[in-house]
Amino acid sequence: MIKYIIKRLALSVLILLGVSLIIYVLVRSMPVNFIEDKVAAMNQGGAVIDEATVENMKILYGLEDDSFIGIIKGYGNWLVKLCRFDFGTSFKYGSPVIDVIRDHMGISFAVAFIATIFEFMIAIPLGITAATHQYSFRDYLVTVLVMVGISLPAFFFGQVLKDLLANKMGWFPPSGLVDATQSYTGVSLFLDYLRHMFIPVLTVVILSIGARMRMTRTNMLEVLNSDYIRTARAKGLKESKVIYKHAFRNTLIPLVTSLAGLLPSLFSGAIITEQVFDLPGIGNIAYKAMIVADIPFIMGYNMFLALLSVLGVLLADLMYAVVDPRVKLG
Amino acid sequence: MSQSNKYPAQTEAVAEELLKTPDTLEDTEPLDKNVRLMSPGRMVMRRFFRSKLSVVGLVMVVGLFIFCWLGPLVYTAWGETQQDEGKLEITQQEVTFTVDGEEYTFIQVVETGKGVNSLAKPDGRHFLGTDKYGRDVFTRLMYGGRISLMVSFIAVFAITLFGIVFGGIAGYFGGVVDNVIMRVCDVLMCLPGFPILLIIGTLLDAADVESQHRIYYLMAYLTLFSWPGTARLVRGQILSLREQEYMVAAEAMGYSVPRKIFKHLIPNVMPQLIVSMTLSLGSMILYEASLSYLNMGVRAPYAAWGTMINIVAEDPNILKNYFNVWGPPGICIIIAVLGFNFVGDGLRDALDPKMRR
Repeated sequence: MIKYIIKRLALSVLILLGVSLIIYVLVRSMPVNFIEDKVAAMNQGGAVIDEATVENMKILYGLEDDSFIGIIKGYGNWLVKLCRFDFGTSFKYGSPVIDVIRDHMGISFAVAFIATIFEFMIAIPLGITAATHQYSFRDYLVTVLVMVGISLPAFFFGQVLKDLLANKMGWFPPSGLVDATQSYTGVSLFLDYLRHMFIPVLTVVILSIGARMRMTRTNMLEVLNSDYIRTARAKGLKESKVIYKHAFRNTLIPLVTSLAGLLPSLFSGAIITEQVFDLPGIGNIAYKAMIVADIPFIMGYNMFLALLSVLGVLLADLMYAVVDPRVKLG
Repeated sequence: MSQSNKYPAQTEAVAEELLKTPDTLEDTEPLDKNVRLMSPGRMVMRRFFRSKLSVVGLVMVVGLFIFCWLGPLVYTAWGETQQDEGKLEITQQEVTFTVDGEEYTFIQVVETGKGVNSLAKPDGRHFLGTDKYGRDVFTRLMYGGRISLMVSFIAVFAITLFGIVFGGIAGYFGGVVDNVIMRVCDVLMCLPGFPILLIIGTLLDAADVESQHRIYYLMAYLTLFSWPGTARLVRGQILSLREQEYMVAAEAMGYSVPRKIFKHLIPNVMPQLIVSMTLSLGSMILYEASLSYLNMGVRAPYAAWGTMINIVAEDPNILKNYFNVWGPPGICIIIAVLGFNFVGDGLRDALDPKMRR
């Protein structure tokens, strides 16, 4: 087991190296030049900046050489810094990349976490009823509703909800995270956060519920067709006992495993949802940094995402072995 | 009506035939006419069309295709980027004035128009009204659909092609080849998809790519990053298939490697591939729409469904008051994705050899 984990971790490092190389080369070939934009802005502000200062700034940011060799060298420097856990300073936000990510991760995490809880709470019972009443009207109804949920584009459905619940009904604020006209503190501030997060969470829940329900349904059906369920029924057990005590436990195996796979989506932030509702989450922040070619931040953010997904896969595999004693890692 | 219930009746009929005396048997039809044989293809078709949902999905998809490709040929009143200049109102007015005691009369002709007939309400002139720049929403819906549907089809076929080739090679040869290809897959699968596409979107800005071609480049990159999923599917199937006896027979016949891979192994993976292709068509449409929504894909004045919704982010007034501008493209996206999902789901059930319903 430990040997397996070490092997997988070593492999993960290799994968991350490959990912970082690809992203760095892409970002360095981005045409938007942060320095030139900044110099132009400073010139407009009245300051006169000569060529030497521009060159100095480029050297400061590590962007002096745009040839292929220069990019590779820059990558090397970035890598060396990374080994000291130094992601550099974000051009756009002016503070260390790690701090920016940490400051904005909370909001994304809150939205994703609340949404995930509701998703599981709604999807699992729905999946079970659909499976136990296979091919019934109920099954079809649940399946159709869920399919509609999967097919909704986040940006469109978000706007519809925003239009309905915020603009037409006025129940919830349309965007942002805090009410700028009020100065809440303590409990009322927290409630204000919740009010602002309601529609985004609702959007995420409706969009993601479908996949989870289908998964539950498929697994439940598979388990219900197995021999030991027939045995349980033949023993004369009550149907509720057969389903909730015998079948449900085995249905849980893939669900628990998929919980580990959720790790990336919990922390990475949803670019589109956050953009629609103008939430200051990590996805929205990254989107804004991406447009102005904020190299340290883009690198940091993307590496963060890649790290999360590598860990997510590893954790899911380990969870499998933990939950299901038949699975042996080797 | 299940297949297996039919057999007893048929075997009885066959038994009766056999009990007849030889001279009467000659008059009757040959034996195999009595047993209804169904090719696997027909069986799949039957199972597919038995499910109402998949038929509904098929109707939705085919309907959208007809709407997008034949629509602009039938409804030619407006073009994709054509702005409605508004109706010219011509008023005549008599103007009379006196110069040196003599009276002159002019007829003054005044042309008044709105300039651009923007944000018109739906009426006979514009079925779904016009957008902010006076373009006909109904017409743009059809042109936008062409882009969305075509782009996702191309992307899915390309992804499948890459997936089959690399997955097939990895699964068949195993060893070092397999290892290298799978490690590349690991790296590509860990790349964060959407952020990378945003970066590539800005790269395209610099390259001065025409706005209606941008989406093709983006989808090409998307293809490059998404084939590993298909490759894994193909590889996994081939790993188990190549141990089967018919592959030993193929080996014994001395078939070439490409023939073994592409003629004997890949066709057996096709059922799963077709299902995953149909389902990923839906997600590709969503991808394309999201990119266009973030103004990375197709850009105005050209139409794509996502681009048509994009206006909402800039102008809250349109979000509040003009559902006819941004609602229809969203509904079209939902119909398309839902249609493909229904069809894919129906195909999954129909192609499953374990299902004998």
